[in-house]
Amino acid sequence: MKKREILRLVALNLLQNKFKVVLTSVGIIIGAATIVMVIAIGRGGQEKVAEQFKNLNAGAIDISYEEATENKTEDAKMGNGNFGGNQNMPGGKPDSSQKNGTDNKSNQNGKSAMGENGSAPFGFGESARGGNSNDKNRMNQDKIVLSEEDVEDIETFVPDISSVSISYTTKTTVDGGELEEETSYTVAGVTSIYAEISNLNLQVGEFLTKEEEENKEKVCILGATVAKEIFGDAVSAYDSTLYIGGRAYTVNGVLKEIGSVSSGISADDAIFVPYSTGVKYITGENISPTITVIAENLNDLETTIENIETVLAESYPNAEFTITDAGSKMEAASASNDTLTTLLFAMAFIVFIVGGIGIMNVLFVSIKERTKEIGILKAIGCMKQDILLEFLLEACFISVLGGALGVLVSLGITPIVKMANIPVSLSIAGMLTAMVFAFVTGVTFGFYPAWKASCLVPVDALSEE
Amino acid sequence: MENTIIKLEKINKSYQKGKTSLHILKDIDLQVERGEFVAILGPSGSGKSTLMNIIGCMDVFDTGKYYLNGIDISKQKDKEFTGIRNKEIGFIFQKYHLISTYTVLQNIVMPLLMRGMGFAEATEQCMDTIKMLGLEERLEHKPAELSGGQQQRVAIARALVGEPALLLADEPTGALDTSSGAEVLKLFNRLHNMGHTIVMITHDLEVAKSAKRIVRIIDGELHEDEKG
Repeated sequence: MKKREILRLVALNLLQNKFKVVLTSVGIIIGAATIVMVIAIGRGGQEKVAEQFKNLNAGAIDISYEEATENKTEDAKMGNGNFGGNQNMPGGKPDSSQKNGTDNKSNQNGKSAMGENGSAPFGFGESARGGNSNDKNRMNQDKIVLSEEDVEDIETFVPDISSVSISYTTKTTVDGGELEEETSYTVAGVTSIYAEISNLNLQVGEFLTKEEEENKEKVCILGATVAKEIFGDAVSAYDSTLYIGGRAYTVNGVLKEIGSVSSGISADDAIFVPYSTGVKYITGENISPTITVIAENLNDLETTIENIETVLAESYPNAEFTITDAGSKMEAASASNDTLTTLLFAMAFIVFIVGGIGIMNVLFVSIKERTKEIGILKAIGCMKQDILLEFLLEACFISVLGGALGVLVSLGITPIVKMANIPVSLSIAGMLTAMVFAFVTGVTFGFYPAWKASCLVPVDALSEE
Repeated sequence: MENTIIKLEKINKSYQKGKTSLHILKDIDLQVERGEFVAILGPSGSGKSTLMNIIGCMDVFDTGKYYLNGIDISKQKDKEFTGIRNKEIGFIFQKYHLISTYTVLQNIVMPLLMRGMGFAEATEQCMDTIKMLGLEERLEHKPAELSGGQQQRVAIARALVGEPALLLADEPTGALDTSSGAEVLKLFNRLHNMGHTIVMITHDLEVAKSAKRIVRIIDGELHEDEKG
């Protein structure tokens, strides 16, 4: 029988059973829509991860310190910590006078040793950390504030790094511009190289300079959203006066919108001031800064992190710092997204199997209904392979129709999913994958019923009532 | 061209029913020449349907020899049976066995489509037969929209379009009223006069009498062979 004529028969049968065809394809419609949405959500997740990390330098290592909360009361009672000298001083060793203390003696020795050993992996660190790390209970009991001196230490003693910066954030009241009343905003104290390491660009003006930082000048840079909220637009904001914590600051620039978080700061929503200015006029010493180190060798971040730990252990023997690298964050976020995608894909696969079994059931019922027809066709000379092909094509058509309707359904529900704040990114590849899955389901689950139909004995089929 | 259309030699057929073996056909010998109109007459359970299935290549026999239009059927495989049914035999069933979802025309052209013809070509080839059977006005109708007599005419048209060597009719008037039945038998005689070879299975002596030759089958044995 000519393939064209078989197709004509298939079309004839399907058109005469439109409702049954649509009902049969429901499982495939759901499966295909699920596949498209799974891939779209997976892609959306990946794009979101990429968006979140687009301004994040892959070599960025963030170092912060968290004081053990259960010991805070005790520390407060004690007044002074056991290490690092005067606890009232910021960060345990920001005061140069502290360098004369016992702890810093060993620190100095360590640095000398380091100098002598050149690129040796901080042999001093082992002894320094080892000597003090046997009392784990005392870890992070001290109030430590990372400081610009720690930045200098890292810059000096940690090899294979390109830059180091320090930053902190705080919430404080802001007034000025079009604000009708004082409003709380995130203020970030940063150094002049923050813009460079966080890949921030300005719409107008220039970023904070080293001189402004050294002179503790009352200047600020506004995030794109902040500028819009306070001044209406970036141009109006530029060179205007903004009152932060009741003090007047000149707006030296406005950042371009980036839509992501860098070193824990959402740049669009923040006001940036020089680090020292912020400490002097806004926060005092009550801050928890983050040091950001940019490693040169992305393939050996572990060693760089170990070296940083060693340097910090010299200054803070009983402290454990939280050190995270951007690459690991990206990998973790990406892996989490991949896991979710795999789970959703598995779900879609199950839906397809259920849909396929549905097709198989309907085909078996259809064959039962059409047993006499098959008997007639075989009696008048229809070849086994023609009957097999006819039923298989019917199954495939139902599946492909289901696949196509599923793709349309996915297009319809995408806006609803987006409204639920789920990142979705539809793709042609996703739609094609769904269609291929639908087709394969049709062939796989349609084959057995079609084969059974082709094997019917004409005499038996004709006697079927 | 082979003159003997059917040649059955010592055909035996048994069915196993539980532990019992039922010997349905016993040493059947039958020869039908080209252009003959033969009625195989027998009561229910005599084995006539089994004989028809064997003649129609829809069932296999246990022992014996069967030649259809010169083809040794005992040497054919299942796939070849299908081709033989399509080319050599035109089936006319008691219950017409038309495909209910197809139109009259789609039903009639089916045997030609199975030979690899396109629909247009097959339709063209069928037109003479359709006209001869007076079905021109009914081509787009579904079988359910026709009377029993008309449906049987469609079945006869389907059997004829492939120009088979043998028209094999199983109780062709069994589902029809008397006048429609008579009309079909008249048509059979017309086809016989046109040179078609017809083998008709029936339990009705009156129907069998319209054939030129009657073969009686009782308990799986051919008892009589009367030339009309």
